[in-house]
Amino acid sequence: MPAPKITSIDLLYDYLYTAMQLEHATIPPYLTALYSLTPGTNADAFHVLRVTVVEEMLHLTLAANVLNAVGGRPDLTRPGFVPTYPAYLPDGEDDFQVSRCAFSKQALDMVLNIERPRKAPEEAKRTIDRGQVKHSRLGVEPNHPAMQFYSIGEFYEEIWRGVQYLHKKCGDALFSGSPEKQVSSEYFYSGGGQIVIVTDLKSAKAALDLIAEQGEGFGGTIYDSEHELAHYYRFEQLKLGRYYQSRDEPHQPTGPKLRVDWDSVYPVKTDARLSDYPEDSELHAAAVAFNRSYADFLGLLTRAYNGEPALLTDAVVEMFRIRDRMTRLIHNPIPGQSTLNAAPTFELQPQPAVVAS
Amino acid sequence: MIFPIGASRRTEHQTAAETVYDAVVIGAGISGSIIADELSREGKRVLVVEAGIGEDHSLEGYEAYVERFYAAAVKDNQSPYPVNLNVPMPRGSDVHRIWPGQPDTSGYLVQTGPFASDTSYTRVLGGTTMHWEAKTPRMLPEDFDLRTRYGVGRDWPLSYDDLMPYYAKAEREIGVSADAEHQSFLGVHFEPGYVYPMQELPLSYLDQTVAKGVDGTFVELAGEQYELRVRAFPQGRNGVPSPAYDGGKGYVPIGAVSTSQVEEGERCQGNINCVPICPVQAKYNAAKTLSKALERPNVHLLAQTVASRVLIDAETGRVSGVEVKAYADPDSPRYTTWTLRGHLVVLAASAIENARLMLASDLQSSSELVGRNLMDHAYLLNWALLPEVAGTYRGTVCTGGIVDLRGGPFRRRQAAFAVDIHNDGWGWATGSPYSDLNAMVDDENLFGAALRSALPDRLSRQLLLAFMIDVPPNESNRVSVDPRYTDRLGNLRPVISFTVPEYTMRGVGYARQFARQVFQRLGAADCTRYDPTDPSYVTYEGEGYAIRGGNHLAGTHVMGSNRLDSVVDADQRSWDHENLYLVGGGSMPGIGTANVTLTLAALCFRSAERMLQQLRAETSRP
Repeated sequence: MPAPKITSIDLLYDYLYTAMQLEHATIPPYLTALYSLTPGTNADAFHVLRVTVVEEMLHLTLAANVLNAVGGRPDLTRPGFVPTYPAYLPDGEDDFQVSRCAFSKQALDMVLNIERPRKAPEEAKRTIDRGQVKHSRLGVEPNHPAMQFYSIGEFYEEIWRGVQYLHKKCGDALFSGSPEKQVSSEYFYSGGGQIVIVTDLKSAKAALDLIAEQGEGFGGTIYDSEHELAHYYRFEQLKLGRYYQSRDEPHQPTGPKLRVDWDSVYPVKTDARLSDYPEDSELHAAAVAFNRSYADFLGLLTRAYNGEPALLTDAVVEMFRIRDRMTRLIHNPIPGQSTLNAAPTFELQPQPAVVAS
Repeated sequence: MIFPIGASRRTEHQTAAETVYDAVVIGAGISGSIIADELSREGKRVLVVEAGIGEDHSLEGYEAYVERFYAAAVKDNQSPYPVNLNVPMPRGSDVHRIWPGQPDTSGYLVQTGPFASDTSYTRVLGGTTMHWEAKTPRMLPEDFDLRTRYGVGRDWPLSYDDLMPYYAKAEREIGVSADAEHQSFLGVHFEPGYVYPMQELPLSYLDQTVAKGVDGTFVELAGEQYELRVRAFPQGRNGVPSPAYDGGKGYVPIGAVSTSQVEEGERCQGNINCVPICPVQAKYNAAKTLSKALERPNVHLLAQTVASRVLIDAETGRVSGVEVKAYADPDSPRYTTWTLRGHLVVLAASAIENARLMLASDLQSSSELVGRNLMDHAYLLNWALLPEVAGTYRGTVCTGGIVDLRGGPFRRRQAAFAVDIHNDGWGWATGSPYSDLNAMVDDENLFGAALRSALPDRLSRQLLLAFMIDVPPNESNRVSVDPRYTDRLGNLRPVISFTVPEYTMRGVGYARQFARQVFQRLGAADCTRYDPTDPSYVTYEGEGYAIRGGNHLAGTHVMGSNRLDSVVDADQRSWDHENLYLVGGGSMPGIGTANVTLTLAALCFRSAERMLQQLRAETSRP
């Protein structure tokens, strides 16, 4: 095995923090697309998006479990945890950005790009130098902003190599974290995919594998090892208008047909910012209130991941409030822009000036 | 949970009619689904026959049910399901006053009275679990020998301990959330170390408000003191899995049923419309069990196929086949007739339909008890306004109640009861919240901000206590058939004759007093009024009460210890026809104060073992 990039526990903490950041970063775009659907329409798209969001939260929680297992401290309140959209994901071709936008054919292509299964063609290409970061980027090699991973899968592969390396170096002492901080299936229930309690090398591998497989599939099949359809193929069903069933080959679903009603969607402004709303408008106040409550929500999750797992039950209730606060924005037009509706802005701290690209 | 694509259509009637199955199961509710799953797991060839609309259980179809419910003006238990004149269903809204000599024939059930029942059951794939409340208490040990103990009702040929392991199986299948310690009362006990699949669902804020006035208080009844407390009910709804379940293996909740892997199903999130239909399938329905069975190629399903006659071989007394009518289009009365054959025939079509089918086939049984001993809980509603906002309308329909008077020596004289605290306000009694809205707008001239604040203020102070009162078996309470009354396919309709027994009415009278006492302790204003024009109005000792049905139908093919005192034995096998099983609530000799589904599911798990033994003994080939 080539030399790992993760050679110290602090570097492992950085990578796992980035992993949590990465898993969370898909949630604002997915929720925006989800709640842009007109209620009572697009049931298929609604469920695919909803289940995927729940599984991204599972990934977030799994990453927190790994970080806790090695004695780290999950912190979702650190400035910059939530990216500024549009943001790049670690895609080798740098051909798309992740945006918060309404559900549409273009949005579906973006999602398929995020979830696309990819393995680097050769060892040397696992990271790519993209030059100086001009935009918000995710999946970068910590402390090395110019180095991008080829794919999310490669990023998790690197974490796994680091865990193995450090375990060889310091033995079971690597897993020094308090078992009390592990989130168990009592507190996290996604229906699909079981939470993994991480206490040793084996369970760390199981947790990291589950994150990677749920996105991209396992061993070249459309399912992960728990027989859950991988996210990429879930979304592909919407593009192809047909459901997969077991034993199907990739890109050739043979299950029941499904229908997407592309027009039953609120026309929300892409990557809306607070500055898009008139300062003294109700929308502005609602958007500010949303951002404040979303920051509180991340604070609640941080406590849940730091020894109070029962708070995840409260977080579920909070998710209903997030839905209501988001739809309040999404269902209303922006004053003066009759063709565009508002959206939550997910700006949790003062925004830096936009760098021209 | 994946419902195999096309399973509802993959079997042709022609093919089925040419096959001799190991078992033909009539009815795809919880009983039929458990039997089909248990037999097919052992490789037996099973044909499941369902009268209702036969479409695959897809998420889309389920959500169409939810949408139909949302859009319905009258939100009764059947409102999510399309009207199907080929397979009519009783509806609560059908019930009318019955005058002597003039049966009410306006609904599906013909009612001769004197009591007009608003009871119902659901005739769709999944059966009545498609509208049930999912409350799953076990019966008390004393419910099984009520006659010996208190001289009331009938003894079972089974004891609580006989049924205990099957209760555990049923709780696994349904996925019950409860706390074994909290459920250990009045003799109810568990295997050492037993934990339920999922942790107890929390009491609602309303429950906790009631508990403040009730917990630790006493009532005296027949010379005994009973301490009261508000307790959570066991529920067949997904909650937090118990890590200690099954010797530490834990439990994986069964999520939503669909033909494609799209919706994983959610935990109970307290939707108040969980009856009739849970919007997120956190509540168990029998499609979860049926889907497992249909995964196996040895299980066939014929939907839109109504059993009309059980055929008996005159020489052997065995069932030779079941005559069915299959309709392709629910909007057309056209049908084709087929005869289906199985080594065993299992009737699992509900207490009323099983009896109706037997009687339509001229099978009264040696005991002549088919159709008799019809039971259903009598519900007495009491409603009051609490002095302060108590969070009514939060939580599922019912999360907690008072169950301390479910058992005791007072049962010699009067019926026991369990008390439900209803989280849905006065809905069941008065049509709230719609009736409140109408009254505020039309009578109180409220509108705008005043209306917006007045409505929640009143609704969230509403308290409704529903008393579920024991109705012991009585041979004159019965299902019969009459050639004058048929449905559109020409099948005989059930004719119901029912009187609320005096024993139950004594319990009703006491329930009213008890409710008033609880209301006093809570400082709540009693608003209960029983309308003398209510079709289900009953007078007793000078007082009038409106009694509601509980949809807990039982007793119509009662089990017992010999062919002259009962229709089936403890295995639910017909005494007269050795390859015929009648399963479900109809076999129960009593209903005590427990909702019937958990117990009838346990009985089905037990019977499935006996069916497998019989199949092995009778079909083993050299």
